[in-house]
Amino acid sequence: MQKVVSISLNGNSYQLEEPGYEQLRAYLERAESRLKDSPDRAEVMADLEQAVSEKCRTTLGPHKTVVSTLEVERIISEMGPVESADEKSAHADTEGGSSGATYSAWPPRKRLFRIREGAMWAGVCNGIAAYLNVDVTWVRIAFVLLTLFTGVWFFVYLVLLFVMPVANTAEDRAAAFGMPFNTEELISRAKKNFEEFNQQFKWRREWRRQQRHWHRQFRQMNEQLRVATAQAAPAMNQTARAVGGLFVVVAALFSAVIAVALVLALISLFTQHSIFGWLLPFDIPLWVVALVLVALYLAISAPLRMIRYGGHQQGGYHPGWGALHGLMWIGFTVLMFWGAYTFFPGVREVVDQLMWAANLTVTTISETIV
Amino acid sequence: MDNITEKLAPIRKGLLEFVILKIVSADKVYVADMLKLLGPTEFATQEGTLYPLLSKLRREELVDYEWQESDAGPPRKYYKLTPKGRTQLSTLNDYWKDLNRTLAEFGN
Repeated sequence: MQKVVSISLNGNSYQLEEPGYEQLRAYLERAESRLKDSPDRAEVMADLEQAVSEKCRTTLGPHKTVVSTLEVERIISEMGPVESADEKSAHADTEGGSSGATYSAWPPRKRLFRIREGAMWAGVCNGIAAYLNVDVTWVRIAFVLLTLFTGVWFFVYLVLLFVMPVANTAEDRAAAFGMPFNTEELISRAKKNFEEFNQQFKWRREWRRQQRHWHRQFRQMNEQLRVATAQAAPAMNQTARAVGGLFVVVAALFSAVIAVALVLALISLFTQHSIFGWLLPFDIPLWVVALVLVALYLAISAPLRMIRYGGHQQGGYHPGWGALHGLMWIGFTVLMFWGAYTFFPGVREVVDQLMWAANLTVTTISETIV
Repeated sequence: MDNITEKLAPIRKGLLEFVILKIVSADKVYVADMLKLLGPTEFATQEGTLYPLLSKLRREELVDYEWQESDAGPPRKYYKLTPKGRTQLSTLNDYWKDLNRTLAEFGN
């Protein structure tokens, strides 16, 4: 049993099996987006509907009232991909005529593709590099750094993995340097890719492979760190220790400064829509800026943390330094907050409001309990 | 062989407009008829390509259409050549002959 969808094509009604209807709808939507820039769009769409309508009619008879999915598939393949006649000539002129095997002509716009050729893993970075027209190494370095310092980037990578289509044909690869990328297409593609991925149970394999890869990388990194510190250890003498002590103070001060700067920036962002007097371009959503700020904070503070932990492993580093660093960090942070509270009226306002809200919540809760 | 066919695809693509003008010049035709005529030839094509092309030709005032009732279903668009299209076709014909002559001059 199949669910049936009733549709109207150029004034005639037809009943299509649901999967067939979905395919036809996708086909017509694709056609419409291809013809987006054509002045004849409305007319061509009407012509196409008319043609589909006539083809549907021939499949029906006195005892057959529904167009089956297979028939819809056949009709779509008979119709062939829709290409705008104007773009074809323009494209052929500029590109010297791309591959003629498939008859589709993409608008000459940039489009994100995953490029498997020369890819480390899934071709995401490769595709981005092609899209941004930069060397892939830079993109990889950026991704690795961002992933190390902000875990979120790993999820960004995963999302891109599902959203970006793989450039399979020569034409796709040509379009990796150009093509539209609208939201609807993006979502449907993400869904499709995810379904395919899921269906083939490939993700388990990919996941395991990726995990092995990470383990390997992690071990390598640890090993390198160990070797490096072992080599550096003999050089670690009294002066180095003194420098280390000084470093703890500086590091604590620096971490405190950027932590306070982050909080102040967030406060001023949400209360005044500006960061330390720098007005945001108004079309950027606040949460994006907030995320960028947090990422920036993590990116700046991560090297410090890493150096400290590296120091721990070195043996020459007394555990007491860690406690000292923590105490100093708290001290500096409190000091700076006090300074900000005293000298910046904006900060004081916000803190007072927060305190007031907290008070109110507490009293409300205690009253309801009593 | 397939490789050759693919290599020549841009030529066929470029000539399709010329071929359509030729077909339309002979008689008033309906898109399904055009597809049937083109089907067995090297210029075999599909609605998805033909409709946008015809719309473009109409916008350039090389062809025009009129609605004609049909016994099986709604009225259909029948395409015919405009005077401007006829001039264009003869220019294209001449050009094609020139091309052939040039090719012949280069020998086999």
